[in-house]
Amino acid sequence: MSAKTTTMRRCGGNERKYRWYRFQKASAPYIFILPGVVFYLMVTIVPMITGFWMSFHNWSIIRPTQPWVGLDNYRKLFADPLFWTSMKNTLVYSIGVVPLQMILALLIALLLNTGIKGRKFFRLLYYLPVITPMSIAAVIWTWIYHPNLGIFNQIVRFIGLRPQDWLGNPDWAMFSVILVAIWAGIGYRMVVYLAALQGIPRTYYEAAEIDGAGRWDAFKYITLPLLKPTTLYILVTSVISSFQVFGLVNVLTGGGPLNSTQVAVSYIFKRAFGDLQFGLAAAMSFVLFAIILAITLIQWKFLGKEVTYE
Amino acid sequence: MSAHANSSTLDSALRKQNKQGAGQSPKWGRIACRVVIYAIVILGAVMMALPFVWLILSSFKTLEETMFFPPTFFPKNPTFANFREVFERIPFARYYMNSIITSVIPTIITVTTCSMAGFGFAKYKFTGRNTLFWIILATMMVPFPATIVPLYVMVARANLINTYAGLIIIGLSSASGIFMMRQFMMTIPDELLDAARIDGAGEFRIFNEIVIPLLKPALATQSLFTFTRHWGAYVWPLICVNSDRLRTLPLAIPYFSGQYFNFQNLINAASLMAIAPVLILFIFTQRYFVEGITITGMKG
Repeated sequence: MSAKTTTMRRCGGNERKYRWYRFQKASAPYIFILPGVVFYLMVTIVPMITGFWMSFHNWSIIRPTQPWVGLDNYRKLFADPLFWTSMKNTLVYSIGVVPLQMILALLIALLLNTGIKGRKFFRLLYYLPVITPMSIAAVIWTWIYHPNLGIFNQIVRFIGLRPQDWLGNPDWAMFSVILVAIWAGIGYRMVVYLAALQGIPRTYYEAAEIDGAGRWDAFKYITLPLLKPTTLYILVTSVISSFQVFGLVNVLTGGGPLNSTQVAVSYIFKRAFGDLQFGLAAAMSFVLFAIILAITLIQWKFLGKEVTYE
Repeated sequence: MSAHANSSTLDSALRKQNKQGAGQSPKWGRIACRVVIYAIVILGAVMMALPFVWLILSSFKTLEETMFFPPTFFPKNPTFANFREVFERIPFARYYMNSIITSVIPTIITVTTCSMAGFGFAKYKFTGRNTLFWIILATMMVPFPATIVPLYVMVARANLINTYAGLIIIGLSSASGIFMMRQFMMTIPDELLDAARIDGAGEFRIFNEIVIPLLKPALATQSLFTFTRHWGAYVWPLICVNSDRLRTLPLAIPYFSGQYFNFQNLINAASLMAIAPVLILFIFTQRYFVEGITITGMKG
């Protein structure tokens, strides 16, 4: 009995009913994915392409026509010292946040995975900053950093260091932003590591113990290699998101003092919505995207080689 | 290294285990190890929680007390007046309502579109499926800030700046949401769907009456992720809104703290009220968050 005759029998031998059945079965997947895919591509690919096109124009929201200027925006951009400052600051931020955050997240995950009591409670505490709206967390930290009334200087005094105007001093502002960013992001990475650690079969460790391996050996030869895909994943996503930092910086320092915390996105923002130079801002956005893409590909290439799951 | 460790016979290995089980390894070493572990974890947790604790304690302080030098930790004369005063000074209820509207509506729509798309990608073979899925995963790499300028121009062209529609329109679907729902959908056995088909159910009925009830935990996870993300949304509202009428909490709190920088007691009370819903929600639904991250490795 062929599929068709079976189905037709079910449709009571009615040819029209059968056609309708076939049609809805063939079209169903497209109808299912349509809204999700369209809504998503509408706010990603479409603006990407629009932005690329905008970057070749002297774009203004007020003027009806947008004159083509070729590579002028890019030329202007690379000649702009503030652009390079913002790129340098972004790099400093990324280097300041990503490695330390990953090491701390791994450390806490390993410790929580030793079967200590209250694991869920600790996990909850570490994750709280992740779900706190960034801009509001920044407001809270602004007060914590307050030179006279804030608790941070109290702690600093208690340890015996010199109190500072943490957000107002160009030498310390980036450090202060980095500290908040690490605080805000550890929890998420820790939970990802914890999930990966729990995915490592117990039997591996038992086998190692029978073979006489110590704890350090087990960590070095079992845990670390098996965590490699997770580490790579966290590294890539952390670097990508560190290059996009904006909300935190905007509320904590607004890019200041003296542009010491002006990062790539805050500078794009300033150019677009402060100076209304949309073409230039679009060009910057595209350069930022290219840099993120390049860094990601390099990371995959050099670190992704030996990643295996078994 | 003892002879046991060097020998690989099962017998000696078992003997070694028995020895450890009998507690002959130095006990004080293990206890010290525990103490160090707890100390590090607790110290870290204290540093994580300190800003929240200080915020909560400080929002009960009087204006005077927030000006004390050195600052006090516990409020001397705890008062609830700050919370009331926030509502009197600024249209806080309005901001709250805006945040609820711009979080709940996108959450409902996103969960619907993502679960549908996830089902489509997980349970059907169709032309262009893999290409489309690959495109969606690849565009997750596109940094959001790289699209804000053209997005602003597009939304401005559609006359949606300073409207709820403009705030909501960019959050109706998400790549990570589609991906997460697809992962969940894959766990549903095909046989179940085929059985329903043989009983004469159409594809949409199968989705509505079989798949959705089975995936309630997944829908909860996805809803929570989407809701918290929209509750904290800052960059897009900052661009899309410039009237006070439409400010959401993540915009209103920094604005308020800039306007009333001398009234730290009010800023604290407002901040606490603004973050309370997501924190409380999270405390009671931690399980779903962890499950979502475990399955996809991403924040919805």
